Amino acid sequence: MSMVESTRAILSSRRKLLITAAACSTAVLLPRGVRANDDAIGPVELITRLTGKTPAWSDRVRLDMPRVFPNGYSVPLALAIDSAMTEAEHVRRARVFAPRNPLIEVAAFQFIPQRSEPRVSTRIRLAEPQYVLAVAEMNDGSLLLNKAWVEVSSNGCK
Amino acid sequence: MVIPAPRVQVPASAAKGEVFQVKALIPHSMETGLRYDEQGAIIPRKIINKFTCRYGDAVIFGADIHESVSANPYIEFYVRATDSGSLEFIWEEDGGGVFRLEHTLTVS
Repeated sequence: MSMVESTRAILSSRRKLLITAAACSTAVLLPRGVRANDDAIGPVELITRLTGKTPAWSDRVRLDMPRVFPNGYSVPLALAIDSAMTEAEHVRRARVFAPRNPLIEVAAFQFIPQRSEPRVSTRIRLAEPQYVLAVAEMNDGSLLLNKAWVEVSSNGCK
Repeated sequence: MVIPAPRVQVPASAAKGEVFQVKALIPHSMETGLRYDEQGAIIPRKIINKFTCRYGDAVIFGADIHESVSANPYIEFYVRATDSGSLEFIWEEDGGGVFRLEHTLTVS
């Protein structure tokens, strides 16, 4: 094995270990330089590794963020999920991830059928231009995924 | 240490079944634990890690908040008016700090 190959092998197993560790902990920590959305790992794969379930892309999840924003410290985020919010059909939780931030888990919101609407706005930090991901956990256990591209010009995580 | 003074914007009254908006904000630096001070020592993490809204006896909205939420965390959410009663807003900080606000809602 050449030096380059062995380094790659170590990095690859280290990444797997880190992602497994991340999936097990509440704070999802991926150290600088090890990024969950390296070209090999797309959003579906990332969410699958973090949750143990494969999400489906869905327009029922609407993630509204500015395509370009100057300040990475406070980027507006609006999330809404199409759901009747009845006992039979509702959103349990919605999670937001910023895969190119040093800490990729941003927030998780819990909704209650007939009491709160699956709709929320907040402001988040982004370290660099990236796709922000939103995942809705439905009451039947399925995961619905959508993304929004945001180009920030300053690092909000420093 | 300055005790954060949270604030909320909630209607005083609503029609039964109506969905109303809540805006909640707490002044807080949201120290991420990723920064270093001038001596090169890491500045420990201190963030608001949880927000909860209770309506009457039930928790009706919650947020788990991580480091990537901006300083002075702001959350806007939507609640269905069911009965007259109190809405309680609770922010939990690393290290055990808890900050609360209460609001009385009249439902007609």
